Amino acid sequence: MKRALTAALLVAVAALLLAAVAELPPHGSPDSPPYTHVSAYYLEHGPDEAGAENMVTNVILNYRGFDTQGEVTVIVTAMLAVLAVLLWTGQAEGDQPGPAPAATGSSLVVRFIVRVMAPFIAVFGIYVILHGHVTPGGGFQGGTMIGALVIALTLVLEDTRSAALLPRRPARLLQVAAPLTFFGVGVIGLVLWGEYLYYPRDPSSLWITELLLLVVEAGIGLGGAIVIATIFRVMGAQR
Amino acid sequence: MIDALWQNLDYAASVVLFCIGLYTVITRENLIKKFMGLNIMETAVFAFIVALGVVEGGDAPIAGSGAAPPFINPLPQALILTGIVVAVSTTALALSLIIRIWRQCGTIEADELREAE
Repeated sequence: MKRALTAALLVAVAALLLAAVAELPPHGSPDSPPYTHVSAYYLEHGPDEAGAENMVTNVILNYRGFDTQGEVTVIVTAMLAVLAVLLWTGQAEGDQPGPAPAATGSSLVVRFIVRVMAPFIAVFGIYVILHGHVTPGGGFQGGTMIGALVIALTLVLEDTRSAALLPRRPARLLQVAAPLTFFGVGVIGLVLWGEYLYYPRDPSSLWITELLLLVVEAGIGLGGAIVIATIFRVMGAQR
Repeated sequence: MIDALWQNLDYAASVVLFCIGLYTVITRENLIKKFMGLNIMETAVFAFIVALGVVEGGDAPIAGSGAAPPFINPLPQALILTGIVVAVSTTALALSLIIRIWRQCGTIEADELREAE
Protein backbone atom coordinates (compact mmCIF):
# COMPACT_ATOMS: atom_id res chain seq x y z
CA MET A 1 0.00 0.00 0.00
CA LYS A 2 2.70 2.43 1.06
CA ARG A 3 4.80 1.41 -1.93
CA ALA A 4 1.93 2.00 -4.34
CA LEU A 5 1.33 5.44 -2.85
CA THR A 6 5.01 6.35 -3.15
CA ALA A 7 5.14 5.18 -6.76
CA ALA A 8 1.96 7.11 -7.61
CA LEU A 9 3.35 10.28 -6.02
CA LEU A 10 6.67 9.97 -7.84
CA VAL A 11 4.98 9.35 -11.19
CA ALA A 12 2.68 12.33 -10.66
CA VAL A 13 5.57 14.66 -9.72
CA ALA A 14 7.72 13.42 -12.62
CA ALA A 15 4.89 13.77 -15.16
CA LEU A 16 4.11 17.30 -13.98
CA LEU A 17 7.75 18.39 -14.11
CA LEU A 18 8.43 16.72 -17.47
CA ALA A 19 5.36 18.38 -18.97
CA ALA A 20 6.61 21.75 -17.72
CA VAL A 21 10.15 21.10 -18.96
CA ALA A 22 8.88 20.15 -22.43
CA GLU A 23 7.28 23.60 -22.73
CA LEU A 24 10.55 25.47 -22.10
CA PRO A 25 12.48 27.05 -24.97
CA PRO A 26 14.93 24.58 -26.57
CA HIS A 27 18.07 23.95 -24.56
CA GLY A 28 20.95 26.20 -25.63
CA SER A 29 18.97 28.63 -27.75
CA PRO A 30 20.31 32.21 -27.53
CA ASP A 31 16.75 33.59 -27.60
CA SER A 32 15.65 32.04 -24.32
CA PRO A 33 14.43 34.64 -21.78
CA PRO A 34 17.20 34.12 -19.18
CA TYR A 35 19.73 35.19 -21.79
CA THR A 36 18.11 38.21 -23.35
CA HIS A 37 17.45 40.54 -20.42
CA VAL A 38 19.88 41.50 -17.68
CA SER A 39 22.58 38.98 -18.66
CA ALA A 40 23.05 40.70 -22.00
CA TYR A 41 23.91 43.91 -20.17
CA TYR A 42 26.35 42.12 -17.85
CA LEU A 43 28.08 40.42 -20.77
CA GLU A 44 28.37 43.63 -22.75
CA HIS A 45 29.48 46.06 -20.05
CA GLY A 46 30.90 43.78 -17.35
CA PRO A 47 34.56 43.71 -18.39
CA ASP A 48 34.71 47.50 -18.88
CA GLU A 49 33.00 48.72 -15.74
CA ALA A 50 33.00 45.97 -13.09
CA GLY A 51 36.71 45.32 -12.71
CA ALA A 52 37.09 41.59 -13.39
CA GLU A 53 37.48 39.65 -16.60
CA ASN A 54 35.56 36.71 -15.18
CA MET A 55 31.95 37.83 -15.52
CA VAL A 56 30.72 35.39 -12.88
CA THR A 57 33.00 37.18 -10.41
CA ASN A 58 31.63 40.51 -11.65
CA VAL A 59 28.07 39.38 -10.96
CA ILE A 60 28.87 37.88 -7.56
CA LEU A 61 31.06 40.61 -6.10
CA ASN A 62 30.10 43.76 -7.95
CA TYR A 63 26.61 43.76 -9.46
CA ARG A 64 25.16 41.54 -6.73
CA GLY A 65 27.52 42.33 -3.89
CA PHE A 66 24.72 42.76 -1.36
CA ASP A 67 23.52 39.24 -2.11
CA THR A 68 26.98 37.83 -1.54
CA GLN A 69 27.39 39.73 1.70
CA GLY A 70 24.19 38.10 2.93
CA GLU A 71 25.54 34.76 1.75
CA VAL A 72 28.78 34.96 3.74
CA THR A 73 26.69 36.00 6.75
CA VAL A 74 24.64 32.82 6.22
CA ILE A 75 27.77 30.66 6.44
CA VAL A 76 28.92 32.31 9.63
CA THR A 77 25.42 32.03 11.11
CA ALA A 78 25.30 28.33 10.19
CA MET A 79 28.65 27.81 11.89
CA LEU A 80 27.41 29.58 15.03
CA ALA A 81 24.27 27.44 15.01
CA VAL A 82 26.36 24.26 14.69
CA LEU A 83 28.51 25.37 17.61
CA ALA A 84 25.42 26.15 19.67
CA VAL A 85 23.76 22.81 18.89
CA LEU A 86 26.81 20.65 19.52
CA LEU A 87 28.48 22.43 22.41
CA TRP A 88 25.33 23.28 24.37
CA THR A 89 25.34 21.28 27.60
CA GLY A 90 22.24 22.63 29.33
CA GLN A 91 20.77 19.24 30.32
CA ALA A 92 23.90 17.17 30.41
CA GLU A 93 22.50 14.72 32.96
CA GLY A 94 19.47 13.94 30.78
CA ASP A 95 21.61 13.01 27.80
CA GLN A 96 22.00 9.33 27.12
CA PRO A 97 25.11 9.14 25.00
CA GLY A 98 24.89 6.72 22.12
CA PRO A 99 27.56 4.08 21.67
CA ALA A 100 30.96 5.72 21.24
CA PRO A 101 32.35 5.42 17.69
CA ALA A 102 35.26 3.03 17.38
CA ALA A 103 38.57 4.87 17.26
CA THR A 104 40.46 3.92 14.13
CA GLY A 105 43.74 5.42 13.01
CA SER A 106 44.19 6.18 9.34
CA SER A 107 46.35 3.85 7.29
CA LEU A 108 49.96 4.51 6.38
CA VAL A 109 49.04 5.07 2.72
CA VAL A 110 46.51 7.78 3.58
CA ARG A 111 48.93 9.50 5.95
CA PHE A 112 51.72 9.50 3.39
CA ILE A 113 49.59 10.70 0.47
CA VAL A 114 48.02 13.54 2.46
CA ARG A 115 51.42 14.72 3.65
CA VAL A 116 52.87 14.65 0.13
CA MET A 117 49.89 16.38 -1.44
CA ALA A 118 49.31 19.04 1.25
CA PRO A 119 51.63 21.77 -0.14
CA PHE A 120 50.29 21.33 -3.67
CA ILE A 121 46.68 21.52 -2.50
CA ALA A 122 47.52 24.66 -0.50
CA VAL A 123 49.19 26.36 -3.47
CA PHE A 124 46.33 25.44 -5.79
CA GLY A 125 43.76 26.72 -3.29
CA ILE A 126 45.56 30.05 -2.93
CA TYR A 127 45.87 30.28 -6.71
CA VAL A 128 42.16 29.71 -7.18
CA ILE A 129 41.34 32.38 -4.58
CA LEU A 130 43.68 35.04 -5.97
CA HIS A 131 42.98 34.34 -9.66
CA GLY A 132 39.20 34.29 -9.28
CA HIS A 133 38.83 37.44 -11.37
CA VAL A 134 40.64 36.14 -14.47
CA THR A 135 40.09 32.36 -14.36
CA PRO A 136 37.26 30.14 -13.17
CA GLY A 137 37.28 30.12 -9.39
CA GLY A 138 37.14 32.62 -6.59
CA GLY A 139 36.94 32.95 -2.85
CA PHE A 140 34.35 30.28 -2.15
CA GLN A 141 35.94 27.62 -4.35
CA GLY A 142 39.49 28.21 -3.15
CA GLY A 143 38.34 28.55 0.44
CA THR A 144 36.64 25.17 0.22
CA MET A 145 39.91 23.64 -1.00
CA ILE A 146 41.89 25.11 1.89
CA GLY A 147 39.20 24.00 4.32
CA ALA A 148 39.30 20.46 2.88
CA LEU A 149 43.07 20.50 3.27
CA VAL A 150 42.77 21.41 6.95
CA ILE A 151 40.21 18.61 7.38
CA ALA A 152 42.49 16.07 5.67
CA LEU A 153 45.42 17.10 7.86
CA THR A 154 43.24 16.91 10.97
CA LEU A 155 42.42 13.32 10.03
CA VAL A 156 46.01 12.15 9.65
CA LEU A 157 47.96 14.17 12.22
CA GLU A 158 48.07 13.45 15.94
CA ASP A 159 45.64 15.46 18.04
CA THR A 160 48.21 17.84 19.50
CA ARG A 161 49.70 18.73 16.15
CA SER A 162 46.37 19.19 14.39
CA ALA A 163 45.26 21.50 17.21
CA ALA A 164 48.31 23.65 16.44
CA LEU A 165 47.13 23.78 12.82
CA LEU A 166 44.17 25.92 13.76
CA PRO A 167 44.92 27.72 17.04
CA ARG A 168 41.81 28.68 18.94
CA ARG A 169 42.19 32.43 19.29
CA PRO A 170 43.23 33.42 15.74
CA ALA A 171 40.62 30.97 14.41
CA ARG A 172 37.91 32.78 16.36
CA LEU A 173 38.82 36.04 14.63
CA LEU A 174 39.26 34.49 11.19
CA GLN A 175 35.86 32.76 11.31
CA VAL A 176 34.20 36.12 10.72
CA ALA A 177 36.81 37.27 8.17
CA ALA A 178 34.38 37.10 5.23
CA PRO A 179 31.59 39.37 6.57
CA LEU A 180 34.17 41.68 8.11
CA THR A 181 36.00 42.14 4.80
CA PHE A 182 32.72 42.84 3.05
CA PHE A 183 31.82 45.36 5.73
CA GLY A 184 35.23 47.03 5.48
CA VAL A 185 35.11 47.32 1.69
CA GLY A 186 31.51 48.54 1.90
CA VAL A 187 32.49 51.27 4.36
CA ILE A 188 35.41 52.28 2.12
CA GLY A 189 32.86 52.82 -0.66
CA LEU A 190 30.61 54.72 1.75
CA VAL A 191 33.38 57.06 2.86
CA LEU A 192 35.03 57.70 -0.51
CA TRP A 193 32.07 57.66 -2.91
CA GLY A 194 29.01 57.98 -0.70
CA GLU A 195 27.47 54.57 -1.38
CA TYR A 196 27.79 51.38 0.64
CA LEU A 197 29.64 48.65 -1.31
CA TYR A 198 30.29 50.99 -4.24
CA TYR A 199 33.04 50.28 -6.74
CA PRO A 200 34.28 53.02 -9.13
CA ARG A 201 33.23 52.37 -12.73
CA ASP A 202 35.18 54.75 -14.96
CA PRO A 203 38.08 53.09 -16.82
CA SER A 204 40.75 55.33 -15.23
CA SER A 205 40.06 54.06 -11.69
CA LEU A 206 39.26 50.48 -12.62
CA TRP A 207 42.41 49.30 -10.87
CA ILE A 208 40.89 50.41 -7.52
CA THR A 209 37.90 48.18 -8.24
CA GLU A 210 40.17 45.27 -9.10
CA LEU A 211 42.10 45.76 -5.86
CA LEU A 212 38.93 45.90 -3.77
CA LEU A 213 37.57 42.76 -5.47
CA LEU A 214 40.85 40.97 -4.71
CA VAL A 215 40.62 41.95 -1.04
CA VAL A 216 37.04 40.67 -0.86
CA GLU A 217 38.00 37.39 -2.57
CA ALA A 218 40.84 36.84 -0.12
CA GLY A 219 38.56 37.56 2.84
CA ILE A 220 35.88 35.17 1.55
CA GLY A 221 38.47 32.45 0.92
CA LEU A 222 40.09 32.75 4.35
CA GLY A 223 36.80 33.02 6.23
CA GLY A 224 35.17 30.16 4.31
CA ALA A 225 38.12 27.84 4.88
CA ILE A 226 38.18 28.48 8.62
CA VAL A 227 34.39 28.09 8.91
CA ILE A 228 34.46 24.70 7.16
CA ALA A 229 37.38 23.49 9.26
CA THR A 230 35.65 24.66 12.45
CA ILE A 231 32.38 22.90 11.60
CA PHE A 232 34.26 19.67 10.93
CA ARG A 233 36.28 19.96 14.11
CA VAL A 234 33.21 20.53 16.29
CA MET A 235 31.39 17.59 14.70
CA GLY A 236 34.34 15.28 15.23
CA ALA A 237 35.01 16.35 18.81
CA GLN A 238 34.21 13.89 21.59
CA ARG A 239 32.08 15.47 24.25
CA MET B 1 5.96 16.22 -26.43
CA ILE B 2 8.59 13.48 -26.83
CA ASP B 3 10.39 15.65 -29.39
CA ALA B 4 10.37 18.63 -27.06
CA LEU B 5 11.66 16.46 -24.21
CA TRP B 6 14.43 15.09 -26.42
CA GLN B 7 15.44 18.65 -27.25
CA ASN B 8 15.45 19.52 -23.54
CA LEU B 9 17.21 16.36 -22.42
CA ASP B 10 19.36 18.25 -19.90
CA TYR B 11 16.26 19.54 -18.13
CA ALA B 12 14.64 16.10 -18.22
CA ALA B 13 17.77 14.61 -16.62
CA SER B 14 17.49 17.02 -13.71
CA VAL B 15 13.80 16.05 -13.32
CA VAL B 16 14.90 12.40 -13.02
CA LEU B 17 17.54 13.36 -10.45
CA PHE B 18 14.90 15.33 -8.52
CA CYS B 19 12.65 12.26 -8.40
CA ILE B 20 15.51 10.07 -7.18
CA GLY B 21 16.05 12.53 -4.33
CA LEU B 22 12.31 12.63 -3.54
CA TYR B 23 12.20 8.82 -3.49
CA THR B 24 15.09 8.76 -1.02
CA VAL B 25 13.42 11.31 1.24
CA ILE B 26 10.15 9.35 1.30
CA THR B 27 11.40 5.80 1.69
CA ARG B 28 14.50 6.00 3.91
CA GLU B 29 14.03 6.06 7.67
CA ASN B 30 17.64 6.94 8.51
CA LEU B 31 17.76 10.70 9.06
CA ILE B 32 21.15 11.11 7.37
CA LYS B 33 19.94 9.24 4.29
CA LYS B 34 16.79 11.35 4.28
CA PHE B 35 18.87 14.47 4.29
CA MET B 36 21.15 13.17 1.56
CA GLY B 37 17.97 12.70 -0.50
CA LEU B 38 17.16 16.35 0.11
CA ASN B 39 20.69 17.21 -1.05
CA ILE B 40 20.14 15.21 -4.25
CA MET B 41 16.97 17.25 -4.87
CA GLU B 42 18.94 20.46 -4.33
CA THR B 43 21.59 19.27 -6.78
CA ALA B 44 18.88 18.57 -9.35
CA VAL B 45 17.59 22.13 -9.04
CA PHE B 46 21.13 23.54 -9.32
CA ALA B 47 21.85 21.46 -12.42
CA PHE B 48 18.57 22.60 -13.97
CA ILE B 49 19.23 26.30 -13.41
CA VAL B 50 22.84 26.10 -14.63
CA ALA B 51 21.61 24.25 -17.73
CA LEU B 52 19.22 27.16 -18.37
CA GLY B 53 22.22 29.40 -18.95
CA VAL B 54 23.88 27.25 -21.59
CA VAL B 55 24.08 28.75 -25.09
CA GLU B 56 24.76 26.67 -28.17
CA GLY B 57 28.45 27.01 -29.05
CA GLY B 58 29.00 29.47 -26.20
CA ASP B 59 32.35 30.35 -24.64
CA ALA B 60 33.05 30.49 -20.91
CA PRO B 61 32.01 33.97 -19.69
CA ILE B 62 35.56 35.23 -19.20
CA ALA B 63 36.68 38.23 -21.24
CA GLY B 64 40.27 38.68 -22.35
CA SER B 65 42.34 37.57 -25.29
CA GLY B 66 40.86 34.81 -27.41
CA ALA B 67 37.36 35.11 -25.94
CA ALA B 68 34.56 35.79 -28.39
CA PRO B 69 30.78 35.97 -28.07
CA PRO B 70 28.45 34.18 -27.65
CA PHE B 71 29.21 33.67 -23.98
CA ILE B 72 27.48 31.29 -21.59
CA ASN B 73 25.05 33.14 -19.35
CA PRO B 74 26.99 34.12 -16.17
CA LEU B 75 23.92 34.95 -14.09
CA PRO B 76 22.67 31.40 -13.32
CA GLN B 77 26.20 30.34 -12.42
CA ALA B 78 26.56 33.21 -9.96
CA LEU B 79 23.13 32.56 -8.43
CA ILE B 80 23.84 28.83 -8.09
CA LEU B 81 27.15 29.54 -6.40
CA THR B 82 25.10 31.35 -3.75
CA GLY B 83 22.69 28.42 -3.66
CA ILE B 84 25.46 25.88 -3.16
CA VAL B 85 26.90 27.83 -0.26
CA VAL B 86 23.50 28.04 1.42
CA ALA B 87 22.99 24.30 0.80
CA VAL B 88 26.31 23.57 2.49
CA SER B 89 25.28 25.71 5.47
CA THR B 90 21.92 23.96 5.88
CA THR B 91 23.62 20.56 5.51
CA ALA B 92 26.07 21.41 8.27
CA LEU B 93 23.28 22.55 10.57
CA ALA B 94 21.11 19.49 9.83
CA LEU B 95 23.98 17.08 10.40
CA SER B 96 24.80 18.72 13.72
CA LEU B 97 21.13 18.39 14.77
CA ILE B 98 21.29 14.70 13.81
CA ILE B 99 24.43 14.27 15.91
CA ARG B 100 22.52 15.86 18.78
CA ILE B 101 19.60 13.45 18.28
CA TRP B 102 22.04 10.53 18.25
CA ARG B 103 23.57 11.64 21.55
CA GLN B 104 20.16 12.20 23.15
CA CYS B 105 18.26 9.16 21.90
CA GLY B 106 20.89 6.71 20.69
CA THR B 107 19.18 6.25 17.33
CA ILE B 108 18.63 8.26 14.14
CA GLU B 109 16.01 5.98 12.54
CA ALA B 110 12.82 8.03 12.11
CA ASP B 111 10.46 5.12 12.86
CA GLU B 112 12.27 4.17 16.07
CA LEU B 113 12.22 7.81 17.15
CA ARG B 114 8.48 7.94 16.51
CA GLU B 115 7.94 4.85 18.68
CA ALA B 116 10.10 6.25 21.45
CA GLU B 117 7.94 9.36 21.74
